Amino acid sequence: MIATLQWTTLAICAAIALARVPSTLRGENRSLFGIFASITVAILLSIQGPYLVIDRALGGINLANLLLRFVIFGAIFFMGIRISKGFDAKDAYRFITGRAGLTVLAVISAVMVTLFFMMDTSGSSAGLTGVVGTDPWNSALLEYYGAAGRAYPAYVALALLPAMARAVTSRLPGLIRAAAALLGLGAVATGLSLSFPLIPPTLGQIEFMINYTAILCFVLGLALIWVARVVSGRAAARRKTSTEM
Amino acid sequence: MTLSAKAFQRWLQSIAPDASTADVCRVSGIKRTTLAQQLVRGKVSVSTVVSISRAYKINPVTALAGFDAYSVLSGPALPPTCGELVSQISTADLLRALLARTAMEPARGAAAPALGPAPHATSVKNWVDAIDDGELRHRVSASTGVAPQNYSAQLTANRLSAELAVATAIAAGVGPAGGLVATGIITEEEAGWPPGARQAALDSLSDGELTALAGERLQALGKVLRRQEQDQAQTEKIWENLG
Repeated sequence: MIATLQWTTLAICAAIALARVPSTLRGENRSLFGIFASITVAILLSIQGPYLVIDRALGGINLANLLLRFVIFGAIFFMGIRISKGFDAKDAYRFITGRAGLTVLAVISAVMVTLFFMMDTSGSSAGLTGVVGTDPWNSALLEYYGAAGRAYPAYVALALLPAMARAVTSRLPGLIRAAAALLGLGAVATGLSLSFPLIPPTLGQIEFMINYTAILCFVLGLALIWVARVVSGRAAARRKTSTEM
Repeated sequence: MTLSAKAFQRWLQSIAPDASTADVCRVSGIKRTTLAQQLVRGKVSVSTVVSISRAYKINPVTALAGFDAYSVLSGPALPPTCGELVSQISTADLLRALLARTAMEPARGAAAPALGPAPHATSVKNWVDAIDDGELRHRVSASTGVAPQNYSAQLTANRLSAELAVATAIAAGVGPAGGLVATGIITEEEAGWPPGARQAALDSLSDGELTALAGERLQALGKVLRRQEQDQAQTEKIWENLG
């Protein structure tokens, strides 16, 4: 079931990224294409098959996992900027791009890289599942490494959450409010990922569900805003032609 | 509130004993599927009864008064107040009337064009404002159990359910059918408003009263338009960044 979820999510993200190609070539919101493309790469790197291919090319010490974390950081950083700017959330924009946000990003990145190189990471496996259980020291490091990787996305998501809640209850068009609800749900799921250490290993599937819920909600939310714009553009064009006749 | 299918069938029997449902739909212009659905659910809408009454040349107010929920409509018909009448004149008509007054432009004094029919774009809100003594919303909310914010939301959207329209009129002590005119469910004539009553009420306003009223309407309109513009600007910004 998890494999289905992973490949479906990958297909959806890749399709949206591809659909954005024409508007990107026209120069409309190029960073959105970057966001969709990075998310696609991130999903690709969390599926065992593609992960092994890429990691082997990078030396087989799971550098691909570190790369995955930074791809996610980049995607969430630019997504946070676009969303907070679009929804006029000055507080969220400050939290993400202000001194506090950049400090959080720098500290978390530094901690993550340090932990990665302190671990014995030999033996390629997606999600570093092969590293677990080699010895207690290594699995403790892995736990902190994972927490660091989840901390920054959660920080950005929680910064965006109030603005999304405001947008849902605003008088904006229905599609945009629906999109804000999806983005808000994605933010909640990302925030929930902070609680992963509390989830017993036997319920590991829940972690997958939360992660993919977050990704799908963010991607579909962003795509829905784009759809809303296209729909509204068409309606305006129709009004124009009908009054000209 | 909707009317029970049972009471509706009984009423239909009394006005058109031999007509089939298909006949009734044909003469009243109601879609057959709509009526069938209302009957199956056991909830017939007020507008269905109004359409059928008109088709059978019955006054819709009298017809509605035959149902328990709307029996207050059968009471003695109170004439509409001057405020109610003026509230059913559109802002554009009010402004035209104002421009025709000599106080605005002494040289002109030409007659303003005839008034457009009620209801208009803000007729529901204007009607409630015209009969509100400051406590009206609380009384309506207490008597119907509808939360004040839901009531306000309906007014802002220039809507009011038939049940609330009647309850509002009762709570304000004005003619019970006035709200049904403001919401466009029935016409002024069907509510028993004398012909030309709105024009007469408008003419009875002094230059000062009319000018102040037009000013209030313009201010309210300006607020609505500004809010729409702000929403539009916000939407544009979202599209600019995320579209």
